[in-house]
Amino acid sequence: MSTRARIAGLALVTAGVATILVTHWMMAFWVPSEAAQGVVQRIFYVHVPAAWTTFLAVGIVALASAVHLWLEDERADAAAVAAAEGALIFGAIMLITGPLWGRIAWGTYWTWEPRLTLTLLLWFTYLGYFLIRGSVADPRRGKRFAAVVAIVGSLNIPLIHVSVEMFRSLHPGPVVIKPEGPTLHADMLATLLTSLAGFTLLFLGLFTFRYAVERLRRRPLPAAAGEAGEALI
Amino acid sequence: MSELRRAWLITRKDLRLEFRTGGRLLSMIAFVVLAGFLFAFALDHNLVPGRDVAAALIWLVILFASTAGAGRIFDAEEEEGAFRHLLLTPVSRPAVFLGKTMANLIVIWLVTALTFISLTAFLDVRDQGSLTAHAAVLLPGTIGLAATGTFFGRMSRHSSLGDTLLPVLTFPLLVPVIYLGATSTARVLLERPWTEISGSVRLLWAFAVGSVFIGAALFRHLTDE
Repeated sequence: MSTRARIAGLALVTAGVATILVTHWMMAFWVPSEAAQGVVQRIFYVHVPAAWTTFLAVGIVALASAVHLWLEDERADAAAVAAAEGALIFGAIMLITGPLWGRIAWGTYWTWEPRLTLTLLLWFTYLGYFLIRGSVADPRRGKRFAAVVAIVGSLNIPLIHVSVEMFRSLHPGPVVIKPEGPTLHADMLATLLTSLAGFTLLFLGLFTFRYAVERLRRRPLPAAAGEAGEALI
Repeated sequence: MSELRRAWLITRKDLRLEFRTGGRLLSMIAFVVLAGFLFAFALDHNLVPGRDVAAALIWLVILFASTAGAGRIFDAEEEEGAFRHLLLTPVSRPAVFLGKTMANLIVIWLVTALTFISLTAFLDVRDQGSLTAHAAVLLPGTIGLAATGTFFGRMSRHSSLGDTLLPVLTFPLLVPVIYLGATSTARVLLERPWTEISGSVRLLWAFAVGSVFIGAALFRHLTDE
Protein backbone atom coordinates (compact mmCIF):
# COMPACT_ATOMS: atom_id res chain seq x y z
CA MET A 1 0.00 0.00 0.00
CA SER A 2 1.38 3.39 -0.94
CA THR A 3 2.31 5.83 1.83
CA ARG A 4 -0.11 8.39 0.36
CA ALA A 5 -3.07 5.96 0.57
CA ARG A 6 -2.06 4.94 4.11
CA ILE A 7 -1.88 8.56 5.33
CA ALA A 8 -5.14 9.55 3.57
CA GLY A 9 -7.00 6.48 4.89
CA LEU A 10 -5.69 6.93 8.42
CA ALA A 11 -6.54 10.66 8.45
CA LEU A 12 -10.09 10.03 7.18
CA VAL A 13 -10.78 7.14 9.60
CA THR A 14 -9.37 9.11 12.56
CA ALA A 15 -11.43 12.18 11.65
CA GLY A 16 -14.51 10.01 11.14
CA VAL A 17 -14.18 8.17 14.47
CA ALA A 18 -13.47 11.45 16.32
CA THR A 19 -16.54 13.12 14.75
CA ILE A 20 -18.73 10.10 15.60
CA LEU A 21 -17.50 10.27 19.22
CA VAL A 22 -18.42 13.98 19.30
CA THR A 23 -21.85 13.09 17.85
CA HIS A 24 -22.38 10.54 20.63
CA TRP A 25 -21.51 13.18 23.25
CA MET A 26 -24.00 15.58 21.58
CA MET A 27 -26.66 12.83 21.49
CA ALA A 28 -26.16 11.97 25.17
CA PHE A 29 -25.69 15.41 26.77
CA TRP A 30 -26.48 18.26 24.41
CA VAL A 31 -29.33 17.79 21.94
CA PRO A 32 -32.88 18.17 23.36
CA SER A 33 -35.29 15.22 23.28
CA GLU A 34 -38.02 15.25 20.65
CA ALA A 35 -41.36 16.16 22.30
CA ALA A 36 -43.51 13.31 20.93
CA GLN A 37 -41.02 10.41 20.75
CA GLY A 38 -38.68 11.15 23.64
CA VAL A 39 -35.28 9.50 23.99
CA VAL A 40 -35.86 6.90 21.25
CA GLN A 41 -35.73 9.62 18.58
CA ARG A 42 -31.95 9.82 19.16
CA ILE A 43 -31.54 6.64 17.08
CA PHE A 44 -32.28 9.01 14.19
CA TYR A 45 -28.70 10.42 14.52
CA VAL A 46 -27.28 6.98 13.72
CA HIS A 47 -29.96 5.62 11.40
CA VAL A 48 -30.13 8.56 8.96
CA PRO A 49 -26.32 8.93 8.51
CA ALA A 50 -26.04 5.12 8.05
CA ALA A 51 -28.76 5.31 5.36
CA TRP A 52 -27.05 8.28 3.68
CA THR A 53 -23.68 6.46 3.68
CA THR A 54 -25.31 3.29 2.28
CA PHE A 55 -26.81 5.20 -0.63
CA LEU A 56 -23.54 7.06 -1.23
CA ALA A 57 -21.73 3.69 -1.33
CA VAL A 58 -24.37 2.18 -3.65
CA GLY A 59 -24.03 5.19 -5.96
CA ILE A 60 -20.23 4.70 -6.10
CA VAL A 61 -20.68 0.96 -6.79
CA ALA A 62 -23.14 1.64 -9.64
CA LEU A 63 -20.93 4.33 -11.20
CA ALA A 64 -17.71 2.30 -10.84
CA SER A 65 -19.47 -0.82 -12.18
CA ALA A 66 -20.71 1.07 -15.24
CA VAL A 67 -17.16 2.36 -15.88
CA HIS A 68 -15.79 -1.18 -15.43
CA LEU A 69 -18.28 -2.60 -17.95
CA TRP A 70 -17.53 0.19 -20.39
CA LEU A 71 -13.74 0.39 -20.16
CA GLU A 72 -12.84 -2.94 -18.44
CA ASP A 73 -10.77 -0.81 -16.05
CA GLU A 74 -9.46 -2.79 -13.06
CA ARG A 75 -9.34 0.36 -10.91
CA ALA A 76 -13.08 0.86 -11.39
CA ASP A 77 -13.75 -2.73 -10.31
CA ALA A 78 -11.52 -2.30 -7.23
CA ALA A 79 -13.46 0.89 -6.34
CA ALA A 80 -16.78 -0.95 -6.85
CA VAL A 81 -15.87 -3.85 -4.57
CA ALA A 82 -14.49 -1.49 -1.89
CA ALA A 83 -17.69 0.60 -1.93
CA ALA A 84 -19.93 -2.50 -2.06
CA GLU A 85 -18.47 -3.73 1.24
CA GLY A 86 -19.27 -0.30 2.72
CA ALA A 87 -22.84 -0.52 1.35
CA LEU A 88 -23.32 -3.91 2.98
CA ILE A 89 -21.92 -2.81 6.39
CA PHE A 90 -23.63 0.59 6.62
CA GLY A 91 -26.79 -0.97 5.17
CA ALA A 92 -26.76 -3.51 8.00
CA ILE A 93 -26.43 -0.65 10.55
CA MET A 94 -29.41 1.10 8.92
CA LEU A 95 -31.49 -2.10 8.88
CA ILE A 96 -30.72 -2.83 12.56
CA THR A 97 -31.26 0.69 13.94
CA GLY A 98 -34.51 1.24 11.99
CA PRO A 99 -36.42 -1.66 13.62
CA LEU A 100 -35.05 -0.71 17.09
CA TRP A 101 -36.67 2.71 16.66
CA GLY A 102 -39.78 1.19 15.04
CA ARG A 103 -40.40 -1.11 18.02
CA ILE A 104 -40.98 1.95 20.24
CA ALA A 105 -42.43 4.39 17.69
CA TRP A 106 -44.65 2.00 15.69
CA GLY A 107 -45.01 -0.81 18.24
CA THR A 108 -43.42 -3.34 15.88
CA TYR A 109 -39.89 -4.17 14.75
CA TRP A 110 -40.82 -4.53 11.11
CA THR A 111 -43.63 -3.53 8.82
CA TRP A 112 -43.86 -4.30 5.11
CA GLU A 113 -44.12 -0.73 4.00
CA PRO A 114 -42.49 0.23 0.67
CA ARG A 115 -39.33 2.02 1.83
CA LEU A 116 -38.35 -0.67 4.33
CA THR A 117 -39.11 -3.48 1.91
CA LEU A 118 -37.20 -1.91 -1.00
CA THR A 119 -34.20 -1.14 1.24
CA LEU A 120 -34.07 -4.73 2.50
CA LEU A 121 -34.26 -5.95 -1.11
CA LEU A 122 -31.38 -3.62 -2.04
CA TRP A 123 -29.30 -5.15 0.77
CA PHE A 124 -30.09 -8.68 -0.48
CA THR A 125 -29.08 -7.63 -4.01
CA TYR A 126 -25.67 -6.59 -2.65
CA LEU A 127 -25.39 -9.92 -0.88
CA GLY A 128 -25.94 -11.47 -4.33
CA TYR A 129 -23.20 -9.14 -5.67
CA PHE A 130 -20.60 -10.84 -3.45
CA LEU A 131 -22.00 -14.33 -4.01
CA ILE A 132 -21.81 -14.09 -7.81
CA ARG A 133 -18.39 -12.45 -7.63
CA GLY A 134 -16.92 -15.19 -5.49
CA SER A 135 -18.56 -18.18 -7.15
CA VAL A 136 -17.55 -17.73 -10.81
CA ALA A 137 -14.36 -19.59 -11.71
CA ASP A 138 -13.18 -17.05 -14.30
CA PRO A 139 -12.41 -13.87 -12.25
CA ARG A 140 -12.85 -11.58 -15.28
CA ARG A 141 -16.32 -12.94 -15.88
CA GLY A 142 -17.15 -12.82 -12.15
CA LYS A 143 -16.28 -9.11 -12.02
CA ARG A 144 -18.44 -8.41 -15.07
CA PHE A 145 -21.41 -10.34 -13.66
CA ALA A 146 -21.08 -8.55 -10.31
CA ALA A 147 -21.01 -5.17 -12.12
CA VAL A 148 -24.25 -6.08 -13.91
CA VAL A 149 -25.90 -7.08 -10.59
CA ALA A 150 -24.78 -3.77 -9.05
CA ILE A 151 -26.25 -1.72 -11.91
CA VAL A 152 -29.57 -3.63 -11.83
CA GLY A 153 -29.69 -3.28 -8.01
CA SER A 154 -29.01 0.45 -8.13
CA LEU A 155 -32.19 0.97 -10.19
CA ASN A 156 -33.91 0.37 -6.85
CA ILE A 157 -32.57 3.64 -5.35
CA PRO A 158 -34.88 6.12 -7.13
CA LEU A 159 -37.80 3.83 -6.21
CA ILE A 160 -36.76 3.88 -2.53
CA HIS A 161 -36.52 7.67 -2.64
CA VAL A 162 -39.96 8.25 -4.17
CA SER A 163 -41.71 5.40 -2.33
CA VAL A 164 -42.47 7.62 0.68
CA GLU A 165 -44.32 10.09 -1.55
CA MET A 166 -45.80 7.53 -4.02
CA PHE A 167 -47.30 5.02 -1.59
CA ARG A 168 -49.01 5.30 1.75
CA SER A 169 -46.04 4.89 4.04
CA LEU A 170 -45.41 4.75 7.76
CA HIS A 171 -41.81 5.84 7.27
CA PRO A 172 -41.23 9.50 8.27
CA GLY A 173 -40.79 11.85 5.32
CA PRO A 174 -37.75 14.11 4.78
CA VAL A 175 -37.08 16.77 7.45
CA VAL A 176 -33.86 18.30 6.10
CA ILE A 177 -33.92 18.37 2.30
CA LYS A 178 -37.28 20.05 1.66
CA PRO A 179 -38.29 22.86 -0.72
CA GLU A 180 -39.20 25.11 2.23
CA GLY A 181 -35.93 24.32 4.08
CA PRO A 182 -35.21 22.03 7.08
CA THR A 183 -38.06 21.68 9.59
CA LEU A 184 -35.79 20.37 12.33
CA HIS A 185 -34.81 22.16 15.58
CA ALA A 186 -31.43 23.92 15.09
CA ASP A 187 -29.63 21.77 17.72
CA MET A 188 -31.05 18.57 16.23
CA LEU A 189 -29.95 19.69 12.76
CA ALA A 190 -26.43 20.42 14.07
CA THR A 191 -26.22 16.94 15.69
CA LEU A 192 -27.50 15.28 12.52
CA LEU A 193 -25.04 17.14 10.27
CA THR A 194 -22.13 16.30 12.61
CA SER A 195 -23.14 12.65 12.52
CA LEU A 196 -23.50 12.74 8.73
CA ALA A 197 -19.97 14.17 8.46
CA GLY A 198 -18.61 11.50 10.83
CA PHE A 199 -20.19 8.58 8.97
CA THR A 200 -19.12 9.97 5.59
CA LEU A 201 -15.50 10.47 6.72
CA LEU A 202 -15.39 6.99 8.26
CA PHE A 203 -16.77 5.43 5.08
CA LEU A 204 -14.34 7.35 2.87
CA GLY A 205 -11.44 6.29 5.11
CA LEU A 206 -12.44 2.62 5.03
CA PHE A 207 -13.03 2.92 1.28
CA THR A 208 -9.53 4.35 0.76
CA PHE A 209 -7.92 1.51 2.75
CA ARG A 210 -10.00 -1.18 1.07
CA TYR A 211 -9.36 0.22 -2.40
CA ALA A 212 -5.59 0.31 -1.76
CA VAL A 213 -5.63 -3.29 -0.44
CA GLU A 214 -7.67 -4.46 -3.45
CA ARG A 215 -5.21 -2.80 -5.87
CA LEU A 216 -2.28 -4.35 -3.99
CA ARG A 217 -3.91 -7.80 -4.10
CA ARG A 218 -4.24 -7.60 -7.89
CA ARG A 219 -0.69 -6.44 -8.53
CA PRO A 220 1.31 -9.23 -10.20
CA LEU A 221 4.08 -10.68 -8.04
CA PRO A 222 7.60 -9.51 -8.96
CA ALA A 223 9.58 -12.11 -10.91
CA ALA A 224 11.97 -12.71 -7.99
CA ALA A 225 9.07 -13.45 -5.61
CA GLY A 226 7.56 -15.81 -8.18
CA GLU A 227 10.83 -17.73 -8.53
CA ALA A 228 11.21 -17.93 -4.76
CA GLY A 229 7.69 -19.36 -4.58
CA GLU A 230 8.45 -21.93 -7.27
CA ALA A 231 11.65 -22.93 -5.46
CA LEU A 232 9.66 -23.56 -2.28
CA ILE A 233 7.18 -25.77 -4.18
CA MET B 1 -33.63 -10.94 -41.83
CA SER B 2 -34.93 -8.79 -38.99
CA GLU B 3 -33.70 -9.16 -35.41
CA LEU B 4 -37.17 -10.24 -34.29
CA ARG B 5 -37.23 -12.98 -36.91
CA ARG B 6 -33.82 -14.20 -35.69
CA ALA B 7 -35.06 -14.12 -32.10
CA TRP B 8 -38.09 -16.16 -33.13
CA LEU B 9 -35.81 -18.75 -34.83
CA ILE B 10 -33.90 -19.13 -31.55
CA THR B 11 -37.20 -19.52 -29.69
CA ARG B 12 -38.35 -22.23 -32.11
CA LYS B 13 -35.03 -24.07 -31.81
CA ASP B 14 -35.16 -23.96 -28.00
CA LEU B 15 -38.77 -25.09 -27.89
CA ARG B 16 -38.06 -27.94 -30.32
CA LEU B 17 -35.17 -29.04 -28.10
CA GLU B 18 -37.41 -28.67 -25.05
CA PHE B 19 -40.22 -30.81 -26.44
CA ARG B 20 -37.85 -33.43 -27.88
CA THR B 21 -35.96 -33.99 -24.63
CA GLY B 22 -38.83 -33.00 -22.32
CA GLY B 23 -36.77 -33.25 -19.15
CA ARG B 24 -37.13 -29.66 -17.96
CA LEU B 25 -40.79 -29.34 -18.92
CA LEU B 26 -41.72 -32.66 -17.34
CA SER B 27 -39.97 -31.82 -14.08
CA MET B 28 -41.68 -28.40 -13.96
CA ILE B 29 -45.09 -30.00 -14.61
CA ALA B 30 -44.49 -32.64 -11.94
CA PHE B 31 -43.41 -29.89 -9.53
CA VAL B 32 -46.55 -27.76 -9.95
CA VAL B 33 -48.94 -30.72 -9.66
CA LEU B 34 -47.16 -32.09 -6.58
CA ALA B 35 -46.92 -28.62 -5.00
CA GLY B 36 -50.68 -28.13 -5.40
CA PHE B 37 -51.26 -31.62 -3.99
CA LEU B 38 -49.06 -30.88 -0.94
CA PHE B 39 -50.62 -27.45 -0.31
CA ALA B 40 -54.05 -29.10 -0.21
CA PHE B 41 -52.79 -31.37 2.60
CA ALA B 42 -50.79 -28.66 4.40
CA LEU B 43 -53.83 -26.38 4.82
CA ASP B 44 -56.39 -26.86 7.54
CA HIS B 45 -59.46 -26.15 5.41
CA ASN B 46 -61.63 -25.64 8.50
CA LEU B 47 -59.47 -22.70 9.63
CA VAL B 48 -58.15 -21.36 6.30
CA PRO B 49 -60.36 -21.87 3.24
CA GLY B 50 -58.28 -22.68 0.12
CA ARG B 51 -59.88 -19.78 -1.76
CA ASP B 52 -58.35 -17.27 0.69
CA VAL B 53 -54.78 -18.31 -0.08
CA ALA B 54 -55.17 -19.64 -3.63
CA ALA B 55 -53.88 -16.48 -5.37
CA ALA B 56 -50.70 -16.33 -3.26
CA LEU B 57 -50.01 -20.06 -3.73
CA ILE B 58 -50.61 -19.87 -7.51
CA TRP B 59 -48.02 -17.10 -7.87
CA LEU B 60 -45.51 -18.76 -5.56
CA VAL B 61 -45.74 -22.06 -7.43
CA ILE B 62 -45.29 -20.24 -10.77
CA LEU B 63 -42.29 -18.37 -9.31
CA PHE B 64 -40.61 -21.51 -7.92
CA ALA B 65 -41.27 -23.57 -11.05
CA SER B 66 -40.04 -20.84 -13.40
CA THR B 67 -36.94 -20.17 -11.29
CA ALA B 68 -36.10 -23.87 -11.16
CA GLY B 69 -36.45 -24.11 -14.93
CA ALA B 70 -35.06 -20.73 -16.04
CA GLY B 71 -31.36 -21.47 -15.86
CA ARG B 72 -31.79 -24.78 -17.63
CA ILE B 73 -32.53 -23.05 -20.93
CA PHE B 74 -28.76 -22.67 -21.40
CA ASP B 75 -27.82 -26.15 -20.17
CA ALA B 76 -28.01 -28.25 -23.33
CA GLU B 77 -26.10 -25.69 -25.41
CA GLU B 78 -23.52 -25.08 -22.68
CA GLU B 79 -22.68 -28.75 -22.29
CA GLU B 80 -22.22 -29.27 -26.03
CA GLY B 81 -20.43 -25.94 -26.56
CA ALA B 82 -23.24 -24.91 -28.92
CA PHE B 83 -23.87 -21.62 -27.15
CA ARG B 84 -20.47 -20.33 -28.24
CA HIS B 85 -21.38 -21.22 -31.82
CA LEU B 86 -24.69 -19.42 -31.44
CA LEU B 87 -22.78 -16.30 -30.36
CA LEU B 88 -20.56 -16.59 -33.45
CA THR B 89 -23.57 -16.39 -35.78
CA PRO B 90 -24.56 -12.89 -37.00
CA VAL B 91 -27.31 -12.60 -34.41
CA SER B 92 -27.18 -9.67 -32.02
CA ARG B 93 -27.01 -10.33 -28.26
CA PRO B 94 -30.39 -8.63 -27.62
CA ALA B 95 -31.95 -10.98 -30.21
CA VAL B 96 -30.41 -14.02 -28.44
CA PHE B 97 -31.81 -12.74 -25.14
CA LEU B 98 -35.24 -12.12 -26.66
CA GLY B 99 -35.27 -15.57 -28.29
CA LYS B 100 -34.33 -17.31 -25.04
CA THR B 101 -36.82 -15.21 -23.06
CA MET B 102 -39.66 -16.06 -25.45
CA ALA B 103 -38.84 -19.79 -25.23
CA ASN B 104 -38.82 -19.53 -21.43
CA LEU B 105 -42.07 -17.57 -21.53
CA ILE B 106 -43.91 -20.20 -23.57
CA VAL B 107 -42.77 -22.92 -21.15
CA ILE B 108 -43.83 -20.72 -18.21
CA TRP B 109 -47.27 -20.22 -19.81
CA LEU B 110 -47.77 -23.99 -20.00
CA VAL B 111 -46.72 -24.31 -16.37
CA THR B 112 -48.94 -21.36 -15.38
CA ALA B 113 -52.01 -22.89 -17.03
CA LEU B 114 -51.38 -26.19 -15.28
CA THR B 115 -50.72 -24.45 -11.93
CA PHE B 116 -53.98 -22.56 -12.23
CA ILE B 117 -55.99 -25.69 -13.05
CA SER B 118 -54.37 -27.91 -10.42
CA LEU B 119 -54.45 -25.38 -7.55
CA THR B 120 -58.05 -24.24 -8.14
CA ALA B 121 -59.04 -27.92 -8.27
CA PHE B 122 -57.01 -29.10 -5.25
CA LEU B 123 -57.94 -26.04 -3.12
CA ASP B 124 -61.60 -26.28 -4.15
CA VAL B 125 -61.89 -22.77 -5.60
CA ARG B 126 -65.34 -22.91 -7.22
CA ASP B 127 -65.85 -19.37 -8.62
CA GLN B 128 -62.70 -18.68 -10.55
CA GLY B 129 -63.53 -15.25 -11.97
CA SER B 130 -63.11 -14.12 -15.55
CA LEU B 131 -60.53 -16.03 -17.58
CA THR B 132 -59.74 -12.90 -19.60
CA ALA B 133 -59.04 -10.93 -16.42
CA HIS B 134 -56.73 -13.72 -15.16
CA ALA B 135 -54.89 -13.70 -18.50
CA ALA B 136 -54.55 -9.90 -18.35
CA VAL B 137 -52.84 -10.22 -14.93
CA LEU B 138 -50.75 -13.30 -15.68
CA LEU B 139 -49.43 -12.10 -19.07
CA PRO B 140 -47.29 -9.14 -17.87
CA GLY B 141 -46.34 -11.00 -14.68
CA THR B 142 -44.99 -14.03 -16.55
CA ILE B 143 -43.12 -11.80 -19.05
CA GLY B 144 -41.32 -10.21 -16.08
CA LEU B 145 -40.56 -13.65 -14.60
CA ALA B 146 -39.28 -15.02 -17.92
CA ALA B 147 -37.01 -12.03 -18.67
CA THR B 148 -35.54 -11.88 -15.16
CA GLY B 149 -35.12 -15.67 -14.99
CA THR B 150 -33.41 -15.85 -18.40
CA PHE B 151 -31.06 -12.98 -17.58
CA PHE B 152 -29.89 -14.24 -14.20
CA GLY B 153 -30.14 -17.88 -15.34
CA ARG B 154 -27.26 -17.13 -17.70
CA MET B 155 -25.20 -15.88 -14.73
CA SER B 156 -25.97 -18.82 -12.48
CA ARG B 157 -24.78 -21.29 -15.17
CA HIS B 158 -21.24 -20.01 -14.64
CA SER B 159 -21.40 -20.01 -10.86
CA SER B 160 -20.17 -22.86 -8.70
CA LEU B 161 -23.28 -22.24 -6.55
CA GLY B 162 -25.44 -23.15 -9.58
CA ASP B 163 -29.18 -23.26 -8.97
CA THR B 164 -28.89 -22.09 -5.34
CA LEU B 165 -27.64 -18.69 -6.54
CA LEU B 166 -30.55 -18.00 -8.90
CA PRO B 167 -33.18 -17.37 -6.15
CA VAL B 168 -30.75 -15.08 -4.27
CA LEU B 169 -30.36 -12.94 -7.39
CA THR B 170 -33.93 -13.02 -8.70
CA PHE B 171 -36.26 -13.14 -5.67
CA PRO B 172 -35.40 -9.63 -4.36
CA LEU B 173 -36.13 -8.22 -7.81
CA LEU B 174 -39.30 -10.25 -8.28
CA VAL B 175 -41.01 -9.18 -5.04
CA PRO B 176 -43.03 -6.46 -6.86
CA VAL B 177 -44.24 -9.03 -9.43
CA ILE B 178 -45.36 -11.47 -6.73
CA TYR B 179 -47.03 -8.76 -4.65
CA LEU B 180 -48.86 -7.09 -7.56
CA GLY B 181 -49.66 -10.40 -9.27
CA ALA B 182 -51.00 -12.18 -6.17
CA THR B 183 -53.13 -9.24 -5.00
CA SER B 184 -54.55 -8.79 -8.52
CA THR B 185 -55.31 -12.52 -8.96
CA ALA B 186 -57.00 -12.55 -5.53
CA ARG B 187 -59.26 -9.71 -6.67
CA VAL B 188 -60.06 -11.46 -9.96
CA LEU B 189 -60.99 -14.62 -8.00
CA LEU B 190 -63.32 -12.48 -5.86
CA GLU B 191 -64.77 -10.94 -9.07
CA ARG B 192 -63.93 -7.41 -7.95
CA PRO B 193 -64.29 -4.58 -10.51
CA TRP B 194 -61.43 -4.12 -12.98
CA THR B 195 -60.77 -0.58 -11.73
CA GLU B 196 -59.40 -2.12 -8.51
CA ILE B 197 -56.93 -4.21 -10.52
CA SER B 198 -55.93 -2.00 -13.47
CA GLY B 199 -53.35 0.05 -11.51
CA SER B 200 -51.43 -3.09 -10.47
CA VAL B 201 -51.61 -4.47 -14.02
CA ARG B 202 -50.11 -1.25 -15.36
CA LEU B 203 -47.22 -1.58 -12.87
CA LEU B 204 -46.79 -5.25 -13.90
CA TRP B 205 -46.52 -4.13 -17.54
CA ALA B 206 -43.97 -1.47 -16.54
CA PHE B 207 -41.89 -4.16 -14.82
CA ALA B 208 -42.26 -6.53 -17.80
CA VAL B 209 -41.21 -3.94 -20.39
CA GLY B 210 -38.41 -2.64 -18.14
CA SER B 211 -36.97 -6.10 -17.46
CA VAL B 212 -37.03 -7.04 -21.18
CA PHE B 213 -35.29 -3.79 -22.20
CA ILE B 214 -32.70 -3.84 -19.41
CA GLY B 215 -32.05 -7.55 -19.98
CA ALA B 216 -31.59 -7.01 -23.73
CA ALA B 217 -29.29 -4.03 -23.13
CA LEU B 218 -27.05 -5.75 -20.56
CA PHE B 219 -27.08 -9.31 -21.96
CA ARG B 220 -23.94 -8.55 -24.00
CA HIS B 221 -21.98 -8.34 -20.73
CA LEU B 222 -23.08 -11.85 -19.75
CA THR B 223 -22.05 -13.43 -23.04
CA ASP B 224 -18.73 -11.80 -23.94
CA GLU B 225 -16.18 -14.59 -23.92
